[in-house]
Amino acid sequence: MCGIVGCIGRGDHTVDVLMDGLRSLEYRGYDSAGIAVGPSMEVLRKSGELDALTEVVEANGPTGTYGIGHTRWSTHGPPNDRNAHPHTDETGRVAVVHNGIIENYGELKADLQATGVTFTSDTDTEVVPHLIAQAIDAGADPETAFHDTVDRLEGSYAIAAIIEGSETVYAARQGSPLVVGVGDGCTYLASDVPAFVEHTRDVVFLNDGHRVIATADGYTVLDGDREPVDVEIETVSYTAEATGKSGYDHYMLKEIHEQPTALRQCFSGRSDALEGTVTLEEIDGIPQPNAVQFVACGTSYHAALYGAAILREMGIPAETYLASEYALSPPPVSLGTLVVGITQSGETADTLAALRDAKGRGVSTLALTNTVNSTAARECDHAVYIRAGPEIGVAATKTFSSQLVGCNLLAEELVDGPRDLRPLIESLRNLPDDVQSILDTSAAEELVEEYADSEAYFFIGRGTNVAVALEGALKCKEISYEHAEGFPAGELKHGPLALVTPDTPVFAVVTGDDERARKTLGNIKEVQARGAPVIAVTDGQSDAAEIADETLMIPETDERAAPVLANIQLQLFSYYLANALGRPIDKPRNLAKSVTVE
Amino acid sequence: MPHTPSSSASRPHSAIVLAAGEGIRLRPLTANRPKPMLPAGTRPILEHVLNALIDAGVDDIHLVVGYQANRVRSHFGPTYRDVPITYHTQDNQLGSGHALLQARDGPDGSFLLVNGDQIIDHRIVEAVGDAHETAGTLAVVEGPEAVDYGAVHLDGDEVTELIEQPASGDFRLFNAGVYAFTQQIFETLDTLSVERGELPLTAAIQQLIGDRYDIRAVRTDHFWMDATHPWDLLSLSRELLTRGWVDAPAVDSDIYVDDAAHVHPEATLVGPVVVDSDAVIEPGAVVGPYAAIGASSTIGSGSVLRDVVIDTDTTIGPNTTAIELVAGQGCVIGAGLTAGGGPADVVLDDQVYSDVDLGGVIADRVDVGGGATLEPGALIGPEATVGTGVVVRGRIDAGSEVVR
Repeated sequence: MCGIVGCIGRGDHTVDVLMDGLRSLEYRGYDSAGIAVGPSMEVLRKSGELDALTEVVEANGPTGTYGIGHTRWSTHGPPNDRNAHPHTDETGRVAVVHNGIIENYGELKADLQATGVTFTSDTDTEVVPHLIAQAIDAGADPETAFHDTVDRLEGSYAIAAIIEGSETVYAARQGSPLVVGVGDGCTYLASDVPAFVEHTRDVVFLNDGHRVIATADGYTVLDGDREPVDVEIETVSYTAEATGKSGYDHYMLKEIHEQPTALRQCFSGRSDALEGTVTLEEIDGIPQPNAVQFVACGTSYHAALYGAAILREMGIPAETYLASEYALSPPPVSLGTLVVGITQSGETADTLAALRDAKGRGVSTLALTNTVNSTAARECDHAVYIRAGPEIGVAATKTFSSQLVGCNLLAEELVDGPRDLRPLIESLRNLPDDVQSILDTSAAEELVEEYADSEAYFFIGRGTNVAVALEGALKCKEISYEHAEGFPAGELKHGPLALVTPDTPVFAVVTGDDERARKTLGNIKEVQARGAPVIAVTDGQSDAAEIADETLMIPETDERAAPVLANIQLQLFSYYLANALGRPIDKPRNLAKSVTVE
Repeated sequence: MPHTPSSSASRPHSAIVLAAGEGIRLRPLTANRPKPMLPAGTRPILEHVLNALIDAGVDDIHLVVGYQANRVRSHFGPTYRDVPITYHTQDNQLGSGHALLQARDGPDGSFLLVNGDQIIDHRIVEAVGDAHETAGTLAVVEGPEAVDYGAVHLDGDEVTELIEQPASGDFRLFNAGVYAFTQQIFETLDTLSVERGELPLTAAIQQLIGDRYDIRAVRTDHFWMDATHPWDLLSLSRELLTRGWVDAPAVDSDIYVDDAAHVHPEATLVGPVVVDSDAVIEPGAVVGPYAAIGASSTIGSGSVLRDVVIDTDTTIGPNTTAIELVAGQGCVIGAGLTAGGGPADVVLDDQVYSDVDLGGVIADRVDVGGGATLEPGALIGPEATVGTGVVVRGRIDAGSEVVR
């Protein structure tokens, strides 16, 4: 997972455009960063956050009229200056930035080394500039050298390059995101639209196999046979919104507070409360599947667990698979199976691989995503959008809530048969205000003072609240770096109970007052007997609040909507815990927003 | 509603908006949000203010936020109608001059200044911006309201004196709260100190005049309105509906219904009326004239509503009669509520207001049982619970429970 940018036609503004672009892609990785500009072929790169590169750029004052840039999240080689992009050939005639993995780099590297080339980094990327330089030495013109090199690469990548003596930015896409921004007399390239959205909203979304040759006179898109392809310029409605924290200390807190708006957008216009019906226009009339397999990673996996649980309650066999496991050990499918990939970015490599595997086996696929025109949305047979708006904080918050609502809408659209959805619609429609009331009154920040120096944090729940427990633990570990685990409440006694001590607070998610809630109350007593303090996240319908040591209250609502609300309290606890511990909340160590490598 | 932005070369293109105050006289509606976020029609007051600025060509907005700042930040985010917003925080509400100082790192050069809780016609902003040549320019309006808004003495176009609280209605010109300033205002504010917990902007303007800076006035008769008391939200809404300043498409001459709203064919909308997205009007309901129904709210079958402002996510049960009612967000109101409208005598902040046209005020997240009745002028605090069949008189405190 990395971010790449490029531009040509911006004259003296080139360095600023590249640096601003990298700043808005910083969420994609921040182990190291670098830029290269031509015609001077100056290359500056630095490990650490982008500010470190900014200092180097200010000190060196590079000038250029076109260039490329990169922000990196390590897959090959530790994050240090040497491994930072751009990479060059031995003489500095070629500079390359790359996102993704070149799978045959070992072989290519051995070939190059056999001809006497010395490598200066541990990256897979470095083979690219050496190959281009070698082709030029063999007499090829720069464009041919670029094409010949790309032809030899296997794996998934988005690449941009500049070559001495050619006032051109070269780029190629295969499996990693790359978009072209079409400006007035200038062209931009980037992994994602926010990198140039302040300059232009006219965007070409490239397909795998596409290559771009951009000069001061414009750009050409070619296919793998080097033939020009007709591309469509789309105007994105995406605004520079992705780049401001609106005065909040962190994107994560901003996004937590945006949830009432995000949920309203997700739900708006998709139900008829008078008739008691739900309609997802994108997939209206889709046949009811015989079975549903969800594939997802991380937070989206937890949303998928919830989605599968509600489908099973509606009588549809539904299972959830970790996307990274699915393609390698694919479960059997039958003709009427629908495979649903949940991915916020629509670019998660593991999820894309699982969806491609399913498609390859002839079953129907559907992407539940936040990103219009993302690879998942384009490759699947169907796409449903959760409309949460851009999410920048690495720890997913509002998109998880919107995914849960999206799962409800999806389930109601998929399952045929008359039923009165008015109570469900009513509770989903009330979610924005219910969430707002939690944001207005939550005691999570005060709880942090009490429990900030605990040894570990455990989260338990049953039914759809298992997903909430797992997500609560993931959020906690992602941003606070504290040890946190989530379990189905009934599993505690089969092992994890051994970890429970007076120094391990247990968050028990208990909503409603059914059998599951009553059994969870038993589990609360179980951990209390081992001295652990219990924080109940509850709507007050059961006796959880009376039994527990502390309470985080949520409004009473439908059992389908309750997990959304319970999760908000856990988001707030994790946020304030991480804040109290001084963690870099928006950029937790070792993590990237959307993981585009497998 | 948005107009095509007009612009003029010299007019300041940055604006500071003061949106930090609670609006104490609007309690209990301001328990969870500042006054600029209260509903005018189906949108927060502040949204109308920002529309006026953007319609006047402003492309750089600075919001000073304080009380319940997150509500403002999460509603508007970093941009509104593609115009970037920078937030400045006033931690303690120490007056309008102090609020303005919080934004001194904001605009370069001259800027416009407006209040976040006053709805203004964009032409007032344009007029002030166009006339701005000296250290300060302000809009003045002729009328009897000087007692409430501060009187202005003029010599030609030159402002000679500002009187914050004139003793009687002698003064015919008052300050409309729309200004343009150079950076000098910040220098002058620096020389003043907070006294008795207040640093009002008028003190700084008075000081500028005393220091012989030229402060000019622009007379205007364009629409200008704010809400001081809860019942003013009803008249504010009425004015906006009359002007069609609502953010929903017109389905008939003065009937505005969002595309994602659901109005049953057997419900009746009587204009002027606006129904926002995902709101539901059940069969047999008669809504309007002068009704604003917020997003995701529900009006039950057979209800009759006129002169009402119903904020977002509120459910009104069937067979309710509501006249001159303001309801906040997330309320659940049972079947058969009766709120028959004013006039009423209302006590606010120890002051008695007589003959007010107010059926009642229900703050956020109030739960009202079936068959309850609001005596005219009743004020129900947020998160209160009113039992079945209760007759509510006067004020009910936040979070309290009332049974028959």
